[in-house]
Amino acid sequence: MIHFVLLISRQGKVRLTKWYSPYSMKERSKVIRELSGIILNRGPKLCKFVEWRGYKVVYRRYAGLYICMCVDHDDNELEILEIIHHYVVILDHYFGSVCELDLIFNFHKAYYILDEILIAGELQESNKKTVERLIDAQDLLEEVAEEDASSVNHIIAQASKNK
Amino acid sequence: MGSQGGFGQSKEFLDLIKSIGECRSKAEEDRIVLREIETLKTRLSSPNTPKFKLKEYLIRLLYVEMLGHDASFGYIHAVKMTHDENLLLKRTGYLAVTLFLNEDHDLIILIVNTIQKDLKSDNYLVVCAALNAVCRLINEETIPAVLPQVVELLGHQKEAVRKKAVMALHRFYQRAPGSVSHLISNFRKRLCDNDPGVMGAALCPLFDLITIDADAYKDLVVSFVNILKQVAERRLPKSYDYHQMPAPFIQIKLLKILALLGSGDKKASEQMYTIVGDIMRKCDSTSNIGNAILYECICCVSSLHPNPKLLEAAADAISKFLKSDSHNLRYLGIDALSRLIKISPEIADAAQHQLAVIDCLEDPDDTLKRKTFELLYKMTKSSNVEVIVDRMIQYMISISDSHYKTEIASRCVELAEQFAPSNQWFIQAMNKVFEHAGDLVNAKVAHNLMRLIAEGFGEDDDAADTQLRSSAVESYLQIMGEPKLPSAFLQVICWVLGEYGTADGKYSASYITGKLCDVAEAHLADDTVKAYAITALMKIYSFEIAAGRAVDVLPECQSLIEEMLASHSTDLQQRAYELQAILSLDANAVEKIMPMNSTCDDIEIDKSLSFLNGYVQQAVENGAQPYIPESERSGMSNISNFKSQEDHESSTHALRFEAYELPKPMLSQNVPPILASSTELVPVPEPSYVSDILQPATSAPSGSDAGPSELRLRLDGVQRKWGRPTYSSATPSTSSNDAVKIQNEATQRDSVGMSNSKARDVSYDSRKQQVEISPEKQKLAASLFGGVSKSDGRQPSSSQKVSKHQNPTSDKSRAAKAAAPDTAVVKTPQTPPDLLDLSEPSISSSAPSVDPFKQWEGLLDLKQDPTPVSAGGVGSTETSDFMSLFTDMSLNVPSDGVAGTMPNVINGNGLGGIMADHSAQQLNKGPNLKQALEKDARVRQMGVTPSGQNPNLFKDLLG
Repeated sequence: MIHFVLLISRQGKVRLTKWYSPYSMKERSKVIRELSGIILNRGPKLCKFVEWRGYKVVYRRYAGLYICMCVDHDDNELEILEIIHHYVVILDHYFGSVCELDLIFNFHKAYYILDEILIAGELQESNKKTVERLIDAQDLLEEVAEEDASSVNHIIAQASKNK
Repeated sequence: MGSQGGFGQSKEFLDLIKSIGECRSKAEEDRIVLREIETLKTRLSSPNTPKFKLKEYLIRLLYVEMLGHDASFGYIHAVKMTHDENLLLKRTGYLAVTLFLNEDHDLIILIVNTIQKDLKSDNYLVVCAALNAVCRLINEETIPAVLPQVVELLGHQKEAVRKKAVMALHRFYQRAPGSVSHLISNFRKRLCDNDPGVMGAALCPLFDLITIDADAYKDLVVSFVNILKQVAERRLPKSYDYHQMPAPFIQIKLLKILALLGSGDKKASEQMYTIVGDIMRKCDSTSNIGNAILYECICCVSSLHPNPKLLEAAADAISKFLKSDSHNLRYLGIDALSRLIKISPEIADAAQHQLAVIDCLEDPDDTLKRKTFELLYKMTKSSNVEVIVDRMIQYMISISDSHYKTEIASRCVELAEQFAPSNQWFIQAMNKVFEHAGDLVNAKVAHNLMRLIAEGFGEDDDAADTQLRSSAVESYLQIMGEPKLPSAFLQVICWVLGEYGTADGKYSASYITGKLCDVAEAHLADDTVKAYAITALMKIYSFEIAAGRAVDVLPECQSLIEEMLASHSTDLQQRAYELQAILSLDANAVEKIMPMNSTCDDIEIDKSLSFLNGYVQQAVENGAQPYIPESERSGMSNISNFKSQEDHESSTHALRFEAYELPKPMLSQNVPPILASSTELVPVPEPSYVSDILQPATSAPSGSDAGPSELRLRLDGVQRKWGRPTYSSATPSTSSNDAVKIQNEATQRDSVGMSNSKARDVSYDSRKQQVEISPEKQKLAASLFGGVSKSDGRQPSSSQKVSKHQNPTSDKSRAAKAAAPDTAVVKTPQTPPDLLDLSEPSISSSAPSVDPFKQWEGLLDLKQDPTPVSAGGVGSTETSDFMSLFTDMSLNVPSDGVAGTMPNVINGNGLGGIMADHSAQQLNKGPNLKQALEKDARVRQMGVTPSGQNPNLFKDLLG
């Protein structure tokens, strides 16, 4: 099971965190501090796994961004590496050659996508197309909702003007 | 398509992110965030804020919390937003609550109603959003509220909903297995779902269920094998492919399940052999995901009923992993090796594995090193325990990570206990472990050590036991002067000195007591150590008195005792008073109280305290309340220990509405302490000083009688780890034999080294550099792997002529080794054939087909690449050079090349693949470059520029 997902920039800035096991706020910041200390200082040729507090943290670097997942001791590390990649590929497709800035400004979208890939700490969908179709459907629905909202606001504004 | 112009955010939000991005210090960032929090606080609670603006504020709040600041004031707004009719706001609300709230948060109860409503929505996307929240937020108490709807959704027409419903049920099962136990059949049903995604999701809960009880699912073996077969034959839609592998994630999950089902079940295993073998053959070992499947196959094979063919395939795969340049693969190789070694120990005999393992052990990569130690831990035998524990201790000293230090320390102790070749070695090893990690190891370990010294090795050999004790005393007297010894170690030292310090008559009582006083004075803050020290003093004095010698209490001891008499700790006080009382008694009485060398005698304990029955009866007749056991006193459950409280709460986890019971009248004054101590006197694994305090201090003799015996009482609860059978089978029982054996081993090792050096002389000119690394490693390999195969992996790479020379010499040494125990050297050509068998195939496989020049090149390569390289050696380094160039270059090439960047491709064959990928990226370059430029321009318009601090912001992640 995946216990949490972290996206950390090379400077140690947090870009996204998702916790699948309960951690208090205090623990969370401690975990992030500890892990960014360990992972950011690892050389490029070392293995992408870190044994940490009885768990394993698997990470992968993309440009200036580190994506880490903390998993149980008996999970398959290479599989987790590929789950990370699976996520990035979908992000890439969604944003159109994704860069760190996309994730900073649209981190909530990154969360939505992550929610379609992982659920309750397990991989729920390995089919890239299915995930993309769902996300598109959601975006479409949101756009409609947004239009509705703005038209409603428009009507309200009109009505209040008329008064 | 997703990133609309300007990232779709308001100017305010962009400014916030920009200013945080440009912060120079943490303090500056905090200031900005605190200001933002103030803004959000007023805006979110203002009634005039338009709804669509609320959405953005909530996202800003998420951002604030992500930066590590408290955003709890806004949680309620997130909850409110989930109630909204507008889907845009609802989704944002759900996202926010899943990120903000833990499942035990008070606000959850306010969301349940909304979730219930949304689960019934006509819009499947709303249902999906609600199910996401269900997975994250629903706790044990609220499961019943949504369970019926979730079950209904298992039959929803949209596969996305079915999938999430399965996962939600899985989550419920993890939370509270009891709540969904009647629904487990649904998981089996979903296995036959038309949609592979739903089927894949159903594998998660089934995996959990099978982990708990494999027997109940044996009937599914055929189905799982069939599914796996279909997946491997690419019968699933092509969109499930990932890097040209058919649905690899589903394959891995299925392999995990098969491993569980086939474990220890011959019949089930036989059904799986074919498919697992097929998959192993089909795996593409140039891609990460292919190797992931391969690794999972090895894990599966190692858990199935052994099958020689599969084991062979697994061993091949492992050797490929171990030879790889990628640390990832070597790590997995080591892990796989440690799994396989359990069922086929002979795999460790392969020489190339041995050297690869040693390379990993000396690798600067900590992760790899630790994994290797794990492997060594699993393959420790009495023949290699010294080397392994020695290495472990060295590593333990060098690291600072306390979590791992604890683990490795307890492993050292465990191995040393199980396989110790001699007493001296054991004591030395323990000293080192305790000296460097004493405060980290479990208290049990310390007690085990005391117990061991007290009981000896268990055989009826008093001489050996005495020797063990005196060597312990000796080493402790040496070591105890050192500053900063851990408390646990000092306790052991004090105890041993007290028991055995004067036993062999080598040291005088005043010398030992002086040392003990030093310890107590040097550790004034540590009451436990002081208590151990004073009890030790008491023992030594009473032994002296019992032996009829005059006791002269050193002045420093006297002052120490006086200090203790006035100590704040009642425990120390009591011990000091007891000591004083003993000093004034005569020899006869003292011998009764403190019999010499009695730590191993059992003391009969009447746990029911039947001798008090009369007294209790009388008290009850006089109107005292009868005793109610702790577990029955419901009002007291808060005070009772944590576990029973847990039990209590789980049985009645609903809220309790009835009033608290009135406090019970106090029991009569005399009964409680005795009863309390009765529960405390039961042997406990951990030391608890409460027991000493609670012991009635009134009757001095009986109290002090319990003093020395208390250690033994505690030890009774300790799990008996001392592996007597393995030990006695491994080494002869008497210590003199031990010594002989060790000497023999030493000479064996020497002779191995000699043979290596001889061989080296012969081949010296042909491989100068290599020689400098190999002898130590060979030696290490020999000592680690018990010298099973002296022919190491390097041999094949030396020329045939050399190996011809080498063979006779090593044969001789082998013959010598075989004869070593009898010391009569039988120099006959009859050598053990198995040893030769090991070396020859590898020679014949590589040497004859290669021309000498190629081999020279291969040898030179060995400097960088320690694995045995045949003709392909030159190619591989070139490849890696090219690879590094390529990865550097590819950072600058923006691309869509999903399958392109594979930093872990190591095989020389992968070259072609990389070239192909590379050209594909070139093709992709055009439109992407444009896109990137557009984005760049857009960003610059907004005024966010990459500073020196964050130069990578614009770099495509997949570039």
